Amino acid sequence: MIEIHDVTKHFGKVHALAGASFVARDGHVTALLGPNGAGKTTLLRMLVGLLRRDGGTIAVDGVDPGKDPMTVRRSIGFLTDQFGLYEKLTTREYLRYFGQLNDMDDAALARRIDEVTELLALGDILERRAKGFSQGQRIKVALARTLLHRPRNLLLDEPSRGLDVMSARALRRALAALRADGCCVIMATHVMQEVTNSCDDVIVIAGGRTVAQGTPQSLCERTGIASLEDAFVKLVGTEEGIAV
Amino acid sequence: MSGRAKFVVVFVKELRETLRDKRALGMVLLFVLMYPMLVGGVLQQQISRALKPEKEGIELTVIGAARAPTLMTQLKQKNVNIVDAGPMTEEAITALLRTQKTAAVLRLSDTYGDDYRSMRPARVELWYDSAADSGRKVGDVEQVLRSYSRTIAGARLLAHGVSPATLYPVQVQKYDTGTSASRSASVIGTMLGMFFIPAFFFCLSTAVDSTAGERERRSLEVLLAQPAHTRDLVLGKWLAASCVSIVGLTLELCIAHAVLKYLPLEEIGMSWRLSWLDLLLVCATSLTLPLFAAAFEIALSINARTFKEAQTTASFAIMLPIVPVIVVPMLNLNTAAWMYLVPVLSHQTLLREMAKGQAVGVLPFVLTFGASLLLALLCVAFTQRRMQSDRYLMSI
Repeated sequence: MIEIHDVTKHFGKVHALAGASFVARDGHVTALLGPNGAGKTTLLRMLVGLLRRDGGTIAVDGVDPGKDPMTVRRSIGFLTDQFGLYEKLTTREYLRYFGQLNDMDDAALARRIDEVTELLALGDILERRAKGFSQGQRIKVALARTLLHRPRNLLLDEPSRGLDVMSARALRRALAALRADGCCVIMATHVMQEVTNSCDDVIVIAGGRTVAQGTPQSLCERTGIASLEDAFVKLVGTEEGIAV
Repeated sequence: MSGRAKFVVVFVKELRETLRDKRALGMVLLFVLMYPMLVGGVLQQQISRALKPEKEGIELTVIGAARAPTLMTQLKQKNVNIVDAGPMTEEAITALLRTQKTAAVLRLSDTYGDDYRSMRPARVELWYDSAADSGRKVGDVEQVLRSYSRTIAGARLLAHGVSPATLYPVQVQKYDTGTSASRSASVIGTMLGMFFIPAFFFCLSTAVDSTAGERERRSLEVLLAQPAHTRDLVLGKWLAASCVSIVGLTLELCIAHAVLKYLPLEEIGMSWRLSWLDLLLVCATSLTLPLFAAAFEIALSINARTFKEAQTTASFAIMLPIVPVIVVPMLNLNTAAWMYLVPVLSHQTLLREMAKGQAVGVLPFVLTFGASLLLALLCVAFTQRRMQSDRYLMSI
């Protein structure tokens, strides 16, 4: 469960966040929608305790990332569109590296690597170095890394950017499994179809503020517009930040 | 808890990546071998030049030698080997000089004997190739001709009742205090400093790749979101890069030591009186130089967005510690305590003093070790602060 209330942040004279508030519930996939520069990245980096907020409150399972970032980070899986693989490490070495950074002991780590390998069908690339991996293989390895330490909360920053159909399906399946498992998933995205297909809840932010939160249907009803895309445009007042 | 400190986890991973980077390892190997070999080669050349007998005979081709037997005797006495030649054209002389078989060609004019006897200036032509490396020999021949001419003039004046001393209102006596040792001192001083420069190259690839490279590939964002303190990340990366450089520098110094011990340096007035124990001490004192080199490069790379940008910046910055190594020996300064506070210059000065075989004392070792360590820690502190700043975290 991730709760943020009236969070503000400015860089010099620029107000990146001007009072964002929302709740992302366990067992829900929550989409974070917003045009470029709306403050999505700032928000995600604040949730893992990288950036300090100027005001407001943030609680990740009741813990403030500003006060205890290490505890919060241990409960978070963080996936970005670049996946962050190391070319010269094998998949197993890559997973071990992040497992150790997440304070997992060797026995638990070995067990867990076996589990995610089976879950994501990584068997054939487990001992291979990441150099030359296809985009699909890359996201699978990155997903394995994200899930390795059994985080209760997942932050996905445009995870589907540049994915082919097969990889996108793999991602969608993983999301469904996490939701069924009772995890809290926040996904920043530009892809409306993804929101309609995978998300239970939508948060729209623009200009550093939350302009709407609700199910995709409720947003359409509220704006009186049938398609989510058009509803989004009406809510933020711009077409920027949409991909189909 | 795994019981493993986080910085060790990062250290092991960065080192593993470096060991798999063939280009980085190739560069380390190149510098490990290249510097000692280069310095060894240059010194060897100086030694063989110094060992060449100072006064080997000068080959002089003379046209019309029979016209001036006294002059020929004079030349022979001054260690000039005379090769008698028949009449030659100008082209033939030029061609002969180009072969460098003779230092110069002396042509006596046909009327030499008559002119000499009737006390008119007797013409002698000295042909030489100033582009060839025989300037000193030509000078020697000229010297003989001049002194011969002066002796004859003196004798003639004497015959007319005039003292030959009137010919020399000023008497010049030359003293050359230069020895081959003092000439090569500044060159060798610079060379010793050059041994330490590779410390900056050994770690370059690791330092740049683990910071700017990771940022460029966007894996830094994920790494920073892990439950590890920035301190541990910086520490691990710093120590990994330093480790590569420490191994490289130690190996290189050992090879350099072996090369310098092998060469007969006394022949060029230089000495290398270091024992292997002394070398061990130098290596131990130099441990902090790689620490500084890596910290310095990481501090620079952290601001770069790409590997290439960081590499360029760092390569330029490496010039900084090289400058004093080249400039200070040129200034011919006496060894002073401040020299032990400047990285690389301090190592150079220390090694030079030790090479003389004198007792150096403890202070230079402490200053050399401490100055680099202090700068390294400052660079690391800067990097850590920078990586925790909002501005940096928003730009990764």
